[in-house]
Amino acid sequence: MNKVVFSSWADSIIDNRGLEADKYKDAENLGIPLEYDKHQIKAFMSWNGVVLADGSVNIIDMLNAYIKEVARLSCGQCSVGYLGIKAIKAILGKITGGAGAESDVQSLKRLAANVKENTRCDFCASAVTPVLDTINYFSDEFDKLITGKGSIPQSSYVTRVTAPCMAACPAHQDIPGYIELIKNHRYEDALNLIRETNCLPGVTGRACVAFCEAKCVRSDIDSPLAIRALKRFPADYETNGGIEAAREKGKGGGAKVAVIGAGPAGLAASYNLARMGYKVTIYDEQSSGGGMALVGIPSYRLPKNVLDNEVDIIKNLGIEIKYNIRIGRDITLKELNAEGYRAIFIASGAHLDRESDVEDWGKGYEGVMEGVEFLRGVNLGQKVAPRDKVIIIGGGNVAVDCARTCVRLGFKDVTIVYRRSRAEMPGRKEEISAAEQEGVKLQFLAVPRKVLARGNSVVGAECIRMELGEPDASGRRRPLPVSGSEFVIEADMVISAIGEMPDLSGLTGGSCVNISKQGTIEVDDYSMQTGEPGVFSGGDCVTGPATLVEAVAAGNKAAKNIDEYIKSGSCKPSDMDKLATVLNGIELGEQRGMSVIAQRQRQSPPELKMADRMRDFSEAEQCFTPGAVAQEAGRCLRCYRVMVVAQT
Amino acid sequence: MVKLTIDGKLIEARKGTTILEAASQNGIRIPTLCYHESLSPVGSCRLCTVEIIENGKSGLTASCTYPVADGIEVKTGSERAVEARKLALELLLAQRPHSEKINELARELGVRSSGINLETKECILCELCVRACREIVGVEAITFMAQGLNRDIDEPKVMHSLEKCIGCDSCAYICPTNAITVEDVGDTRTINTPGGKMEFKLKKCQVCGKYWAPEKQLDYIIKTNNLEPDIFNTCPDCRD
Repeated sequence: MNKVVFSSWADSIIDNRGLEADKYKDAENLGIPLEYDKHQIKAFMSWNGVVLADGSVNIIDMLNAYIKEVARLSCGQCSVGYLGIKAIKAILGKITGGAGAESDVQSLKRLAANVKENTRCDFCASAVTPVLDTINYFSDEFDKLITGKGSIPQSSYVTRVTAPCMAACPAHQDIPGYIELIKNHRYEDALNLIRETNCLPGVTGRACVAFCEAKCVRSDIDSPLAIRALKRFPADYETNGGIEAAREKGKGGGAKVAVIGAGPAGLAASYNLARMGYKVTIYDEQSSGGGMALVGIPSYRLPKNVLDNEVDIIKNLGIEIKYNIRIGRDITLKELNAEGYRAIFIASGAHLDRESDVEDWGKGYEGVMEGVEFLRGVNLGQKVAPRDKVIIIGGGNVAVDCARTCVRLGFKDVTIVYRRSRAEMPGRKEEISAAEQEGVKLQFLAVPRKVLARGNSVVGAECIRMELGEPDASGRRRPLPVSGSEFVIEADMVISAIGEMPDLSGLTGGSCVNISKQGTIEVDDYSMQTGEPGVFSGGDCVTGPATLVEAVAAGNKAAKNIDEYIKSGSCKPSDMDKLATVLNGIELGEQRGMSVIAQRQRQSPPELKMADRMRDFSEAEQCFTPGAVAQEAGRCLRCYRVMVVAQT
Repeated sequence: MVKLTIDGKLIEARKGTTILEAASQNGIRIPTLCYHESLSPVGSCRLCTVEIIENGKSGLTASCTYPVADGIEVKTGSERAVEARKLALELLLAQRPHSEKINELARELGVRSSGINLETKECILCELCVRACREIVGVEAITFMAQGLNRDIDEPKVMHSLEKCIGCDSCAYICPTNAITVEDVGDTRTINTPGGKMEFKLKKCQVCGKYWAPEKQLDYIIKTNNLEPDIFNTCPDCRD
């Protein structure tokens, strides 16, 4: 049960002041954590109000600490926001220092009311809410301090800053930060900032699923910022010679670390470790870097030169990449361990197609393919002759990538067969609609049961219609076969893209690295350590097939953990990590009394014409023009949420 | 055309016009400081703030950046709008108490003095210089350095790049608070900015001997317009 002395959080006022503790009104749905681990949260202050759980906290001292943090983040691009917050800070400093006058509270109120409704973006306007709440509900505290003329002892508080977009991003990139830098044409600074948490700006600027955009506050006003496309701009600006290419070198001097897999997770871990000074060696099975970004993402979404360029920048930090080496085939984990590495990070991805249960699938008919295998072949330059009709089984991103690849290879008829309906399709909406525009057909509520062949060549599949039943474990409605509804789809190629799993054959043999029932590597949730001391793992081989940005985030975290492990022999979450985890549960999107914000249309990067798009593997989406990028960046509301916590 | 009312007057304005432009086209004056008709508006000074009622919701907004929309009601002189403008001006006045331009605006808005205490600064961060350099001169020698998360700066500021600057003095010309000034002495032009002094060598006219323009600026004009390299050997006064 949540007991608070006072809360104005989300405009729902709870005021138990003057009551006995057992008469406190319950604050069940407060939405703010009041304890974690061994700590009590005594008070919490942020953009959506004030929560006081322990009456001993001096709310005005806390407000003073809070506003100092806000003042550091106020960008300076509008008078009322920047100067208003500065003036509020000065008055609060005076009051807490014991020199306040009665008129100061009036001045505070006037300044805060104006900041609330007359600023250029949303940051200062939302951040000032606790000032107004404190004035409204704690005026006696101000009076006491002002008439008593004594200064109050300053307590210490913990501060954390996030934003709806930042919290939604697995890598917690400072999105408002780099957007502001882009807006002010500081492309090099923007790129440096992005690289702090994402070493693949050009790759993710093209192929990220952009969890951030789904949480953009602009969605409620007009439409979310085009964050993914914005990130691409400074990356392309660098590639096109607008700024000098990054030439950072690792510090050097550190211990040796091995990384298995030059995919997004492995690259991100290596990038961070090398910057910390570690001597990193990456082992990869392919002959160039990128992992699933290399073999799985078709080049119309991610041109190979973009990936190669970013792999080079990372490699140039002083990382050695040993290509064409597969752990478990060319060298064992044990042998690797004996080479003096202080830590090993396994980031081998999920490159194995899930086995199809379609009857006669495994008979080796010509024209029967697996999705990831098919994409890998095309991406690595294998020539595939177009056929008349291909069916692709599955509804995820791999299925859609296969379909759009077939279109570009010149297949006449491309059909995706998915056992559920459109609403349940796990593939990205934009990709699915682009596929449809390109002529890909979607056949819902059907599933192939048997491969049909003539001689040794596939000629189609026998399918059965499905209907949706009750939701299954994934929350999606379970597809159930409709008896007697069998039908045949003719095809001279059938691709199964029903999911991927890690290919760990031989990799973990003879080690204490455990594999789960799902076929993924088991690790400790926090430290990412496997059962083998000093061996860490992350990315798709731990989570199963996920996204680029989740892999980058896993690599970043692995680097931090490996560093800690090498330095101290173990890695455990700090109090700040634990606090961050509970604070992450706070709903960041809602906001009290949002000021008037003009609707401004979302800018879209130019796209290749349909006819040009389908002819070959030219990149479909182009880079923003400089004019459009500035306009789009200018739409950002800078929804940073400054959280100040008083705790035991 | 979009139909809206400003101060009770029914007004038609072209789509894409801002409230400020629509008001001005209809003879309704709204005070401004960071606005310039030749530059893109940014809404930094908050002096052109008006009250608007849109879809039943009332609020304040800078009129220079808010596009006109059908059915919105704009009040330029409501108590709320006037108070917001006064406060914005008091903040600017507190920061730059001796600026002629700001004092002139104070008189217009009836603000006698600012009760707000702020450390005084020459630059009020209006971005006029940044925009003029970028949009008119086309050089981008001035950058706005905003505060942000984990930024290594003490305060927001505008920064000149000596490397990129051509010494044209557009920034000094457009600066409303004289935070940027220019001085030509002998063969040297000095541009004083809040971030420091920059010096430029002036070109001497081959006819009258007068030092008449920064060499760097003339080189820039020659380069961007593909002119003959000797075209500026004489000053405009000595040319036919």
